[in-house]
Amino acid sequence: MKKRLGIIFLFALLFGAFITIWNKSYHQGLEEAYIPIKKDNIINELPSESKVFTRSKHALNYAEMPVDAKYQRSLITYYNNRAYPGAPPSIPHEILQDGIVGGNSCLKCHENGGFVIKYNAYTPVTPHPEMTNCRQCHVESRTKTLFKGNSFYKKTPPKVGINNALLGSPPMIPHALQMRENCLSCHAGSSAPKEIRVSHPERVNCRQCHVPKDKEIKDLDLFTRAN
Amino acid sequence: MYTSITNRRSFIKKMALASAMTAAATMFPGIIFADEQEKNIPKDADLDWKKGPCRFCGVGCGILVGVENGKAVAVKGDPSSSVNKGLLCVKGYHQIMCIASKDRLTHALVKKNGSYVKTPINDALDLVASKMKQTIKNHGKDSVAMYTSGQSTIPEGYVASKFMKGAIGTNNLDCNARLCMASAVAGFLTTFGADEPMGCYEDIDSADYFITWGNNMAEMHPVLFSRMLEQKNRRDAKIIDFATRTTRSSTASNKSILFEPQTDLAVANAICYEIVNNGWVNTSFVEEHCNFNKGLTKMGYGLEDNYKFKDKPSKISFEEYKEFLEDYTPEKVSKYSKVSVKDIKYLAAIYGDPNKKVVSYWCMGMNQHTRGTWMNNLVYNIHLLTGKISQPGNGPFSLTGQPSACGTAREVGTFTHKLPKGVVTNEKHRRKAAKIWKVPYERIPSKPTYHATEMFRAVDRGDIKFIWTQVTNPLVSLPKTSRYKPGMQKESCFVVVSDVFPTPTSDVADVILPATWHIEKSGLYGNSERRTQHWDKMVEGPGETTDDAWMTIEVAKRMGYGDLFPYSKENHVEEIYNEYRQFHVGKKHNMAPLEVLKSQAGAIWPYVEGKSTQWRFNAAYDPACDNGKDFHFYGKPDGKAVIWQRPYEPAAESPDDEYPFWLNTGRVIEHWHTGSMTRRIPVLHKAVPHSYVELHPEDAKKMKIKNGEKVKVVSRRGSCILPASVNERGLPTIGQVFVPFFDENMMINDVTLDAFCPISKEPDYKKCAVKIIKA
Amino acid sequence: MPVKSYLAYPLKGAKKALHDAIAKIDYCEVVAAENKDLLIVITDTKTQLEDENTKQQIETISNLKLLTLVSGFNTPKN
Repeated sequence: MKKRLGIIFLFALLFGAFITIWNKSYHQGLEEAYIPIKKDNIINELPSESKVFTRSKHALNYAEMPVDAKYQRSLITYYNNRAYPGAPPSIPHEILQDGIVGGNSCLKCHENGGFVIKYNAYTPVTPHPEMTNCRQCHVESRTKTLFKGNSFYKKTPPKVGINNALLGSPPMIPHALQMRENCLSCHAGSSAPKEIRVSHPERVNCRQCHVPKDKEIKDLDLFTRAN
Repeated sequence: MYTSITNRRSFIKKMALASAMTAAATMFPGIIFADEQEKNIPKDADLDWKKGPCRFCGVGCGILVGVENGKAVAVKGDPSSSVNKGLLCVKGYHQIMCIASKDRLTHALVKKNGSYVKTPINDALDLVASKMKQTIKNHGKDSVAMYTSGQSTIPEGYVASKFMKGAIGTNNLDCNARLCMASAVAGFLTTFGADEPMGCYEDIDSADYFITWGNNMAEMHPVLFSRMLEQKNRRDAKIIDFATRTTRSSTASNKSILFEPQTDLAVANAICYEIVNNGWVNTSFVEEHCNFNKGLTKMGYGLEDNYKFKDKPSKISFEEYKEFLEDYTPEKVSKYSKVSVKDIKYLAAIYGDPNKKVVSYWCMGMNQHTRGTWMNNLVYNIHLLTGKISQPGNGPFSLTGQPSACGTAREVGTFTHKLPKGVVTNEKHRRKAAKIWKVPYERIPSKPTYHATEMFRAVDRGDIKFIWTQVTNPLVSLPKTSRYKPGMQKESCFVVVSDVFPTPTSDVADVILPATWHIEKSGLYGNSERRTQHWDKMVEGPGETTDDAWMTIEVAKRMGYGDLFPYSKENHVEEIYNEYRQFHVGKKHNMAPLEVLKSQAGAIWPYVEGKSTQWRFNAAYDPACDNGKDFHFYGKPDGKAVIWQRPYEPAAESPDDEYPFWLNTGRVIEHWHTGSMTRRIPVLHKAVPHSYVELHPEDAKKMKIKNGEKVKVVSRRGSCILPASVNERGLPTIGQVFVPFFDENMMINDVTLDAFCPISKEPDYKKCAVKIIKA
Repeated sequence: MPVKSYLAYPLKGAKKALHDAIAKIDYCEVVAAENKDLLIVITDTKTQLEDENTKQQIETISNLKLLTLVSGFNTPKN
């Protein structure tokens, strides 16, 4: 009798343990199914003007970079590749794989530049490498002919050498800055058009001396007093 | 045919040079030879380059102004100046353009029946003198006041002080440096007993870390920031930006740490807590050179008229100080400062590491603070506890806003309580001033009267019946102009304004005196690193424009004080400077003689035995140290600097349900203070044509405000309508807005609060509560 | 009457010293590069002998690393 009671007690114990463990694991299973809702992390944004410093870590390299006179770009070729000053340039070369854009393809060359034997030129550096859907704005030109003739007036691009207010004072910025706030990408390095290559890329804080000239604002008059 | 042979030889020499240059260029692309650069300078560049300091900001860059046919036509950085080494900022390069502004004040204007009448300058000065004399006769000496500037030259400040305190005998003299540097002064005096930084700009060349406290140097002290960026790129020096708002400086720095406004007090104490409790205290330095003090707390905010406060310092022990710091563990402080514990410990570890050289920089963020003096004390605490002070690359450095806030306002002492040497409350100092000024010493009153804010309150109350402002534009720069503008318009006060251009202040004047600008007069400025710089007049001012110093002298003469001002019109700047130098004779503050200042781009005082003293209080560099130890803080009687126990206290006004945003005001790189000069420079105006209010994108989204849309900033005092700026130049934190104050058409100071630091009396322009409404 | 131009390479950090030393020698003109450690030296002497002496004088300067001749011209005596 004692033996039987002992066995029943043992089974009861085992059963109790099973119930507890099963219950616990069942509840854990339920918990696992629950994904806690995270509070929206506020994206730590940066002011758009901060891009002036974007390539500054390369500033010293830029200063030491030799000028490869044979392969340098000029402002004429620079603007010829744009429909109007400020328009996104078109892609003047064929594209490796039509399906791929951005980080896997264009940025391989256009993030940091470098010489490409195939095109006998230095790769221009993009001022906005964070935007990777490149071909949203930049397209190839596959034909030289037009569907119909067009008389679009292409504005003359801003000239070099006339943007300073005083003799020898730092020139003002004659172009719009939206998406082009990263000065060094176009104004320094081997791919910079020779007319606008800066002699002092190591200065970094460009807008300490160079301020925009044609800020898009309604009132471009001289400062007028209210009374 | 001798000439032809020499010509031919010189031609051959040129050929030889050209071939050598070509050879050099093939080996070193981009090589530059001076000759080659000069050939690109246009033929008409046959300019006469004249040396001087820049007109804008306290950095004190050396400039060279190109003059052709009596007109200033170009500006370049002075390569021989150790401050800027040839570099300037956009304001510096274009500064001379403002003098050609079409609305220049060229003649005196006297208000008659509500309109201004062009008046010969002599008649206008007669009127000013007789009005001043009459007012003193009817209402006493303390009914007249003068309000000058940290942009006044040393001679201008000196004659103003001599005129008010020595000749008339009133302490009703204060200046706009009260609005920018007073807390720095009070901080220096309470901690070291001697005003102005101990280090110099050469610290930048050897520091490993630059920690900027609420200071957007990329825009406000751009040339110094360039020097820091250069060290960052070349030597891998680190810049850490500790601020309430993301700015250009933050994005150019290695690390940006944001804190909740006013909690800098707590974070600084938390850094001290870490230093003390991690054994990073430089014990031998602290024992030899420091005392511990505490002062009064819960001082109030000076919001009521005639507010008075006097601190009562008492000595404490290191143990008591350590116990006080228990309230400022990083964990406790992190909760309300919104700075992570990790970041607090990171900052403390930099200061605490004996192998790292650290310079702290600050300017308005710490000075324009209702606890500005405390905040200055607290940063000194950090440097004193670690012994990182007065050594090349190690030290606290209080930057200045105005070009001569140090040279004029602080050294000459154009504050109500100051004399060129010492303070009015000290009899010895009064006797010294009286002796040099040759006036009876009883004439200099021993009690200070009005500081800037209180001075304009007194105008509003009708206690001051005559005020003369020079080189400043208080009705744009004072806090709470919504009260002080109507105050100045009252009939009870006769207002004289000396200025170069019409301003909202000159709009309320009874007499407007036409002043010459910077390069149209000779003068001296003193910059942040104690460097005194001299310049000679470069061009003639238009019409009847006159130097401010000379106008003060003329009025003094008309009031019968001619014998105290025996200077000549042609040479008064030099005569005044030589008289003024007598005040500072001695190893602790000797000023360089004029010949030296004329021959080089300035000299740093104490100028002893023909040498500038770059690091004060350090026996290795400073001949005034005479206690036989390595450091001597000789400003204090016992030669020891003070580590102050200063707690955290909340701001005078914090956001609440009704006014949920912090309002922070400040500057932009393109504009100088109230914009009266820079807005008249076409390049700068085109770049930033009007003010704006910066909002965090989240806040803008919540209120459905788009970039450029007009919004109304409203406080308990007034309101201002401005276009919104979302994610452009700067980025305030959520719950904060930022407005540049340069725009007289969008008067943000109608909205600000006139609470001030009870010790320094400097208003807090960085913190008040506002609400934002779509306009 | 020979006119010659040379490129002079200074030892590290001795550009200014070399510049001053060469400038002191008779018949010599120096043009320093602004941004590189390199000087251009032009000698303008009356006779061949003087020319050789001058060259020797330059070569004895201790701060000089290397002196290379770029071009030489000679003009007849009349």
